This record gives sequence, C-alpha cells and structure tokens, in this order.
Amino acid sequence: MPEYLVKENALADFFQVLAKGHRLLAPQGQGDNCQLAVVSGPVSLNYANTHLSPKTVFFPQTEKILAFHKLADKPHYNVYQDLGDHAEPTVIFGIRPCDARGLSVSNKVFQNDRFTDPYWKGKYDQTVKIGLACLDPSPQCFCAAMGGSPFGELGLDVLAYPKAKGLGLKTLTKVGEELIKAAKAEPTDLANELKDLEKKAIAAQGPLDDYQTINKRQIMELYKADHWPNTAEPCLGCGVCTFFCPTCHCFDIQDEANEIGGLRMRNWDTCMSPLFTLHGSGHNPRPSKTERVRQRFMHKLKYIPIKQDGIRGCTGCGRCVVMCPANIDIRSVAALMAQASA
Amino acid sequence: MIVNNPYLPYPVRIADIMIDSPDKSLRTFKFEFLEPEDEKRFNYLPGQFAELSVPGQGEIPIGIASSPTEKGYLLFTVNRTGQVSSYLHNMRIGDVMGVRGPLGHPYPYPDLKGKNIVIIASGFAVTTLRATVVYLLHPDNRPDYGRITFVYGARSPGHLLFREDWQAWQKRDDIDVFVAIYKMVPGWTGKVGFVPAVLQEICPPAANTAAIICGPPIAIKTTQPVLFEAGYKPENIIMSLENRMKCGLGICGRCNVGPEYVCKDGPVFTLAQLNELPPEY
Amino acid sequence: MGNLETITQKIRDKAKNLLSSGQAEVVIGYRQGTIPLVAAPFFARKAEDCDKLVWSSFARLNLANYLPSRKGKVALVAKGCDARSAVGQVTENQFPRENLYILGVPCSGLVDPALVAAKEPRPIREAKETDDAITISGQDFSLDIKKEEVLRRNCRTCSHRTPTLSDELTGPEVPSLQPDDFSDIKDLLAKTPAERLVYFKDLIKDCLRCYACRNACPLCYCPICFVDETRPQWLGKSNDPMDTLTFHLLRGLHCAGRCTACGACETACPVNIKVREFNRVLDRSVQENWSYEPGLAWEQKPPLTVYQPNDPAEFIK
Repeated sequence: MPEYLVKENALADFFQVLAKGHRLLAPQGQGDNCQLAVVSGPVSLNYANTHLSPKTVFFPQTEKILAFHKLADKPHYNVYQDLGDHAEPTVIFGIRPCDARGLSVSNKVFQNDRFTDPYWKGKYDQTVKIGLACLDPSPQCFCAAMGGSPFGELGLDVLAYPKAKGLGLKTLTKVGEELIKAAKAEPTDLANELKDLEKKAIAAQGPLDDYQTINKRQIMELYKADHWPNTAEPCLGCGVCTFFCPTCHCFDIQDEANEIGGLRMRNWDTCMSPLFTLHGSGHNPRPSKTERVRQRFMHKLKYIPIKQDGIRGCTGCGRCVVMCPANIDIRSVAALMAQASA
Repeated sequence: MIVNNPYLPYPVRIADIMIDSPDKSLRTFKFEFLEPEDEKRFNYLPGQFAELSVPGQGEIPIGIASSPTEKGYLLFTVNRTGQVSSYLHNMRIGDVMGVRGPLGHPYPYPDLKGKNIVIIASGFAVTTLRATVVYLLHPDNRPDYGRITFVYGARSPGHLLFREDWQAWQKRDDIDVFVAIYKMVPGWTGKVGFVPAVLQEICPPAANTAAIICGPPIAIKTTQPVLFEAGYKPENIIMSLENRMKCGLGICGRCNVGPEYVCKDGPVFTLAQLNELPPEY
Repeated sequence: MGNLETITQKIRDKAKNLLSSGQAEVVIGYRQGTIPLVAAPFFARKAEDCDKLVWSSFARLNLANYLPSRKGKVALVAKGCDARSAVGQVTENQFPRENLYILGVPCSGLVDPALVAAKEPRPIREAKETDDAITISGQDFSLDIKKEEVLRRNCRTCSHRTPTLSDELTGPEVPSLQPDDFSDIKDLLAKTPAERLVYFKDLIKDCLRCYACRNACPLCYCPICFVDETRPQWLGKSNDPMDTLTFHLLRGLHCAGRCTACGACETACPVNIKVREFNRVLDRSVQENWSYEPGLAWEQKPPLTVYQPNDPAEFIK
C-alpha cells in the first residue's frame, strides 16, 4: 500500500528520521519571509508557499562552476578545473505541487535530449522531494488551469497532506517509499480521502479557463497576434517574473578574475533584459520589450509544451501575478493568446 | 569530480595565428590540444561550432573552420567585436586557453549523399563552409556526393579568407569554384559583384541539388530569391544561424528561435524549418 | 460620491476629451489590478479604453517612468510626486514639455500592502476602499482599516501631495503635511560611517539584483545602466554582496537631488528592501546644501548637474 499515516505525536520523530543522513530542508517563516531552509525547529505545515521557488536549491542564483589560475609557472596554468557539483544528500519537505511540477519541467531542460547539466543533475538526483498538497489554495493560485492540481504528483517522490491529527502520505517513487518506510509511517488506505480533498481544493480555485485553444494554434499565429505591443507596454523590463518563476532557468556564464586566477560562475539571467540576446555586432533579435515579453509567454505556454509533450512551462503558482510591479497577469495574457487572431 | 562535464573546456595551445583581413579585424587561430586524448574526444563534423574559452574573459561560440580530415589541430576564424574576441586577438602563439565542444549539429551530410551541393559563402562566414569543402573533397567522402559548386564573395581580395585552399580547389576538376569581390580592383582576375548576382549567373540546376548558405543576414536574405527563381525548394536550402549563446547546450535559454535552440537544435536549419519559426535571429 | 469616484470620473472624462481633441495620443493612467490592493499601469488610446481608468490609493507605480524615449503626445495621470518626476524629466531633456499634459491628482497617500498584511496575514481575496478606509476580505473574514494606519512611509512625509505643476487638477487640493524634517532617518544619520556600512549591507542582504527598483524609477532612464556595461565591466554579475552594494550606492548617488520620493522602487522590490534609505540620506544632503527640491519648476536644473563657483563643498571632505 503506498499510503501512510504519521500521527501528530509521532511527527517530531518522523522528521528526525528524515533528517538522518540528509540535509532536511523545509519552509520556514511566513509570508514574504517564507523560504526553504535547513530545519532547526518544528516543521511548519501552515504556510501558503515559499517566497522564492525551490529551484534555488538545485539552481542557485550564483554558482561557482570552474576555476583557473593565471600564473604561467604553476601547473595547469590557464586550464579550467572542475569544482564539483556542490550536491549533498537532501530531503525537501513541503514542496507545493505547482513547484514540483516546475522542477519536473526544468529537469527536462537541464537534462535534455543531447546534454546533461551536471550541476543540476547532481543536486536533483540526491534530493528526495516530499510535496505538501494544498487544502486551501491562495487567491493567486491557478495550478488546475495549467494542467496541474493542488494534489499534483509530478516531480515528487512523496505527496503529503495535513490531516486533523497528523500527516497523510502517498509515496510515488521507490526512493520515496524507502524513506517513508524507514521513518516508520503506518501503512493505511487514504485513496478516497485524497480524491475528495483534491476535488475540494480544485473547486476552491474557482471556475478556471484552461486556455486549451493555445495548444491548437500554430506558433506563428500566436506570435503574430496583434495584442503583443499592448500586452508588453506596461512591462518595466525588470527580472522579477523570471527570478520568481519556478520554471525559468536561464543563466549567464561569467568569468570573475583577479591577477592570479579566477572563477567561472553561472548566474541567473532574464529574458526581460535587452542584453540577454544582444549580438556582438549590435544586432538584437529581440530589440524591444514587445519581443521580450512575447518570448516569455510564448516560452511558457507554447514552446515548452511543444518540447515536453503538452506540459506547460507555467505551473500556476501565481508568484509572477503577485510580484510583477506592473501587474502583467499571465492569466490575462493566456486568455489573449487563447483568443488570438493573427 | 564531474565525469564528462560539458562545461569544462579542453585545454589547447595556440599553435599559430593568421591575420586575415587588411583591417586586422579577422584572425584565424590554430589550436593544438594539450592532451592527445582530448583530440579523440573532440569528435566533430563541419557545421558544428565550439566555445572558445579565455580564462578571465569568458567564452565565444565560433564555427569550426577546420575539417576532421585535417588531423592534429583545429581552426577558428574570430572577428573582433566584443570583450572576449578583442582579448583573444591580443593573445600570442604558445598561450594556453580552452575549447569546449563540439556543439550543435553539422550540415546534414547523410541527407546530402548522392546529391549535388552548391555552397554559398559571403564574407567571413565562409569558415564552416571552407571546412565543408575540405571534408567533401577528401577521397573517403568525395565519391558519395554529386557535383559540388563553391561560390564565395568578400569585400576585397584582402578580405578573402583561406586563399591557398580555394586557389587549390580552382585547379581541381571535381569542384566548380567561383570567387568574387564586390568592387573591381586592379589586378583582380576573378568575378566581380555581390554573391547573389554571381550566383544568378552560375546557379546550378535545382534538380537533386541542395544549397548551403552562410553569410551576414542581408546576404542570406538576398541570396534566397535567386535560389527560388532557379527552382530550389525551402527544404533544400540549408542555413546556419547565429545568436548570442552562453552554454551551447540548449539550457541557458538565450539563443532560441521559437522552441528550437540555435546551439543545441541548430545552428543548421533548412529554410523550410525556419519558415515555421519566429524570425528572432 | 466620494473623492475617489469624483477623481476617477474626472480622469475618464478628461482622457476622452484629450484623445478626441488630439491633445494626447495616449493617456497613461491606472486600471484596477487583477489582484487586490493593486492598481496597474494602463494605456488608454481609444474612448472606450478610458472607462477602465481608475484612481485609487493602490496606484503605487510612478507613470512618469514611461515617458523617456516615448514618441508622441502623452497625457499623464500623476500624483504630486509623479508630476514632479515628469517635470524633472522635462528639465533633464528626457521628454518635451509640448508633448506632455499632466493630469494632476491631489493625493492623500497610498496604501502599503505590507502594512495591510501585518494587520491581517490571511490571504486577501478582495479589497474595497472609501476615501478614508479600506475593507479587505478573505475566506471567512472581513476587516476595515483606516488608510492613515497603512500609508506608505514616503506618503507620511510627503510635502507636495497636490501636484505643484500640472496642466489640470482632477480634484480639490489636499492639505499639505508638515514640511519633511527627515526624522525617520535620524538614527541612520547618527551612525558613524562604519556603522552605516554595516546598516546598508544588512539592508540589501536579500537583494536579487532583479533591478526592479531601477526599472520602476523615473530617474533611471540611462540607455545602458552602469551595471549592464560590459566594456568596461564595472561590476560582476553574481550576487556578491560588494557588487550588490555598489549597485545600490551608485544608483543612490545618480539619483541624488532628483528623487521625488514616489516610492515606486520600494513598491517594485520583490524582497521588500527599503531602497529609499539610500535616497533619503542623499535627498537630505541636497536640501541642506542647496535648499533644492526637484520638480518644482520647469526651469531649474538638479544642483549636481550644474556647477557654481560658490557650490558648497563641505560635504565632500
């Protein structure tokens, strides 16, 4: 049976076992201060979502990837050296299903049909991902509209949900099953309860458009639609939407050096910046914010689904909706795309 | 330690530097691998590119100008435009740096077997096409392909790269070579005119023929109508795109044209493919 | 009808009028946001767009930010601070006066959502407002809050709530507050330079370098910001604390004597950094040394952009 129960009085022990041999991360703090952090006290089950998405664990804003030194008399002069993948055995408790879906989308980018990003893979493979289902989605949530669910399982090893007196668990992978067994959770049957709760949670998101017509339209029809200049006009061109998005994965590679050597780093980058695509010649394939804003929404709602069997690059977490200083709401943009005419 | 880290460049030594243009904006670098094993791992075909990695400066994606049939070295022609290329232009023979690749897809050699190929190069974009001709003319490969035509134009005789190569090809009977400069200068005995005009004059029939075009966007744009007029179909017009790149692995996100990444899914595309995609290149 | 509705109606009527008469090709104003407590930038070009324009105490962005490099005639819905920004852009040659129509809104201060959240942490699904209060409601609660309890910090020290220069006011002037005495940064000013460094480093520790503060700022119109320059590259691109601090310090200095305390930077910041602390210190310095406040006259130039032989120099030692 893949379902388990941890009673309230056994929760502390349960989390202690999860932390054994692992770094245990869970959401700490409230509101804008809620972040994944190493667990030092009791694990909270009462939070809306982490301020930044859990991609930060696998893809930190800045990561040192290679090193070199510039002294000609030393061995390996000017030869780049590997710095490892900075991975350690980790359990994350409390990933919301929207964010787990985001990790799954990003995982297919970082491990694509031709190349594997070792820095992502190292951390991804060494992390057991325990989700926490949403009984009461926030006002900005629309995961169900994007094909997910407040009880979604994609990208998770275990899905947990708060019960009146404890924690319900559904194991989804072998790794998850082993961990939960080791933590001595009691096997039980929760299938019906899970179904009921999921139905309720989806209903709580209200009547939602699923923007299905976007899938049927060709790239160029969506691309040439005439709403894009108006859609983009309020955009400030900052990177907030991309930094907070659970599936935005773009980065820059930069060398930082002094007289004796230096590091090759990768840093989050954003397609909202004109520099992102600027050629050395001065030519820019996405010269204005109209092209850049279009790129972001096309990427989320058309390009990623084409490459990932219909799974969208937007998971409905609602971070960009809340965070965009100009209130460019992806739900409104998706609606425009769904009714776009060239 | 990471095994097969695609971000880790192979260490190379600059074996030679050739100044290619009168204004010194172009230099061709010849690299030799520090570790002989790395040369075997760097298994490539013309049309692919690599990231030239200059410690402390960063990386630039450059098409490979040598052919795998040329053993022991790699060639890259670098135009001085940005920070990394300017620094690289000031490096010296013997300096150590990195090469990361091969990246991207080569020209579709298996699909081209049995076909005639017309190769059209403008300016310094000739590099991967120079590699292609060297590769196709190699005795192991030449029998697999039909008639080969090479059209190449540049601003002045001084701007024509790989002079020794195309002069040698002109003497062969298994390739037709047309080299042009845009404006007549005394002493020039070849063709005069922009590449599309030269192509119009000599364009081989479209039947069983594929065209490969490389050049600045304006040259590509003006060459296409000539090919259409001669009956070439978009699926037989092959091009190589350039976009700003960082990772070269289809991950860092900036070089996309619609859902395709120029680095991972290109840089080689047919015109038929590009016709379905946003013109963001 | 309350003051808010009157102003909204006036903005709509005037916007239609300006568009139909050709005095403006676009009216830049606010629409109701798609989430509670937000009014969003909106660009009205046709008469039917104009009915989406609203005035509310959630209109926190500074729309003058959209003026530089814009072509054509613009009517701008502007609070006191925003109108001063627009005037500043005219004096700094970023937008021609003849293309600008300032539709000035006398403003009683805007609501800070963080202060609302501090009073009611539960998810807010709806927010309504009257002239003096807002009513927020969620799943099973509803709460009235007096606006004066949740005004943004900059609105509590604002000395130009009614636009000083505008082409037309959309409502009656609002009484001015006491002149700004910078008492809110008294503790900061009392610190030694070393203590201030510690303070500012801590202030920006969560900065992601998303540059929302810069991009929301009507003063930051440089075609290429120094942080984005690559030749030479002044700053690293990682989240190195020193690079991040350099960004904030230099941006602060670039804005010295030009900032109208509109608070758009803090509104835009996704990690709640009090970005204006940098500006506050510098604004005080400029006021003290030059008795200058930006955006109060069409002719005046910011003191740090002009040289006078008798310029005070004490502060630089």
